[in-house]
Amino acid sequence: MSAPERRDENMYIVRNALRNIARSKGRNVLVGIIVLVIAISSCVALSIRQAASKVESQSLDNLKITGQISVNRESLFQNTQNATSSGSTSSADIRSKLSSLQGPTLDELKTYASAPSVSSFYYNISSTVNASNNSFEPVNISSSQNSSNSSASASTQDRQNARGGKEMSGNIPEGMGTQGNFSLTAYSDESAMTNFQENSSSITDGSMIDLTAADNTCLISDELASLNNLSVGNTITITNPNNDGETYTLTITGIYNNSNTESTNTMMQFSTSSDPANLIIISTGTMNNIVAQSTSVAKTSTNQDTGVTSTTALRTKTSGTYVFNDVSAYESFQNEVKDMGLSDDYSVFSTDLNNYEQSLVPLKNLSKFAGIFLLIVLLVGGVVLIVLNIFNIHERKYEVGVLTAIGMKKGKVALQFVTELFTVTLVSIIIGTAVGAAVSLPVTNSLLASQVASQQTQSSRVEQNFGRGRQQAGASVNAASEGTMASPSDFSGQTGKAVTNYISSVQSATDMTVVVELLGIGVLLTLISSLVAVIFILRYEPLKILTNRT
Amino acid sequence: MSILELNDLSYSYDGIHPILKDITYTFEQGKVYAIVGKSGAGKTTLLSLLSGLTEPTSGTILFQDKDITTIDRYHYRSKYVGVVFQGFNLLPQMTAVENVELSMDISGMKIKNRCEVAMDLLDKVELDEAKANRRVLKLSGGEQQRVAIARALSYNPDILLADEPTGNLDGETQDAVMNIFLRLAREENKCVIIVTHSPEVAHQADIVYELKSVKSAKCADLSSLQ
Repeated sequence: MSAPERRDENMYIVRNALRNIARSKGRNVLVGIIVLVIAISSCVALSIRQAASKVESQSLDNLKITGQISVNRESLFQNTQNATSSGSTSSADIRSKLSSLQGPTLDELKTYASAPSVSSFYYNISSTVNASNNSFEPVNISSSQNSSNSSASASTQDRQNARGGKEMSGNIPEGMGTQGNFSLTAYSDESAMTNFQENSSSITDGSMIDLTAADNTCLISDELASLNNLSVGNTITITNPNNDGETYTLTITGIYNNSNTESTNTMMQFSTSSDPANLIIISTGTMNNIVAQSTSVAKTSTNQDTGVTSTTALRTKTSGTYVFNDVSAYESFQNEVKDMGLSDDYSVFSTDLNNYEQSLVPLKNLSKFAGIFLLIVLLVGGVVLIVLNIFNIHERKYEVGVLTAIGMKKGKVALQFVTELFTVTLVSIIIGTAVGAAVSLPVTNSLLASQVASQQTQSSRVEQNFGRGRQQAGASVNAASEGTMASPSDFSGQTGKAVTNYISSVQSATDMTVVVELLGIGVLLTLISSLVAVIFILRYEPLKILTNRT
Repeated sequence: MSILELNDLSYSYDGIHPILKDITYTFEQGKVYAIVGKSGAGKTTLLSLLSGLTEPTSGTILFQDKDITTIDRYHYRSKYVGVVFQGFNLLPQMTAVENVELSMDISGMKIKNRCEVAMDLLDKVELDEAKANRRVLKLSGGEQQRVAIARALSYNPDILLADEPTGNLDGETQDAVMNIFLRLAREENKCVIIVTHSPEVAHQADIVYELKSVKSAKCADLSSLQ
């Protein structure tokens, strides 16, 4: 018999199955409702997972990653503790090592920048300074009064001295130097000035300094200028916090506005120098000149008890930023620097990647819950369908007996039953997909919004209790619309101030992948639940069924 | 030429107590056979064996000289043997005509006007169109029996097995049904095997086999039943 003939001959199975569905409406409506509930739930759950994975991959594609090399304290403490326990290292050695590890030098950073995975490299050198003879004052946001209010200047000054001034030097570990009230930062090039690149800062008066010239010019914030009545063309004199006698005069060539300063207002400031308003921007040439002069006049002393040597030279911190085209380049870089000789005391980290991962937390949580929910729905739904099918087949035992007694093969009887179930399942899946697709987007966004809200509450509670963000010091949390990625909004010379922009909505949920997955679920459910029916049918003997009934 | 042969056939449900023992019968085309016997003599069991619903414990059943345990018994049941079961075994949720059509489908018959053929068959057993389109569940016992006969004849089998086919019919219809069976044997060369309690039915058969409880069945002539 040819294949088309066999197909025609077996068409009665489908015809019979369809007639049976119409005949047993009650039973099939019940099965249909169960499958419909499974289909809608699965559609929503799959849509959430699909949306999460889509947003994740799209965001990752658009993400330009920057990375930094910094001291890996965890590894450092581990190593030194191991050495101490074996008796080979004294606590003085640990202190010495800790104080000596200030981060890689600029030359080292530049060496690693030659790694093939690096797209571009920029750096900044930062330090802290004081105003000479308090000739100008820092913006102090810890004051309850507006820092631009000049009448508050005296009390502000007192507080500032108590907090971040020289008096604090006693608490700073030996050799670490004294923290100044202003931050002095030099950028390698314009790309290093991330705030200007991202339009959160802009020159409002005067002009940008020449970043390569050693011309002792600087940029100051509009808040600082306003507080001290400074304008373009004025000069400011700064001193080394470790040595009051060491002064440097800078000419103001420009005044900038930093719109991000407001975000720091609620945070506890340990030093006014960490306030972006107190940032003085100079060129690398000017910074090199200042450092060279400071080093030449520096005095060194050694503590007899601890053996730690300290110097009065202006302490600087160099921070290099490597730009990568994608995540894989960033990951390659981590291995490349190890091969290039980066010690285990240092590690590569990326604030962008960290923020990116943070931004996805609510969506990922939701996706995880959706996965668990889907599993439960499928398990419960599968069991209900199996049980229903067992009852169904018991009820239709006589029909199986008659059909096999008049010569219908058991396989064909089973095929007819599976066709009935599959048809009901398919119709329910189609309706369920349509309903699920309609509700999945609002449901996803509503669930996501509550996830974001819960995440924000958690973060703000931690922030409130600890005075800092949960993931990183000073992180504040904002919800952002779709696709808005978190970016470090800090000046690179400052630490731990970043905004986590959670992805709080998705634009599409159900797509063809979800539909195909749902069809797969339908086929799987039909197969699993009808498998039981098939097993029963294959076990039945027509004579026994008919004899029992007679 | 024999179409069915039973050689030393025995059957036991539990393997210990035989229901049928050492039965040797021969069935030929063109004849009507009656199998008679008391209740519990194994008449229905014999019918189940002949229809291939179960296998003998010992001995053989040859269909056209082939042991039916070696052939596809679904094919055998759906094509070569039509069975009118004692309990009819119709599908109650289907109409009479659908029941007939279904067995035609299962047998693999290739005819275009299936519905017409089914209607004709039902008409022959005196079921009109209204009843033919009624669900079996809503038909009387006698009407259901006629549907069962029409179904058994629907695919034109070589052998027709009937278990008490006239049990629920009145005298007139009983004669009509018997006439169908006789005509099938005489005119269409079918082998008709009827299991019956009725002496009238047995009387009209060409050959009567009498089953005795757990004893070897033997061929009885018609006069012994009268």
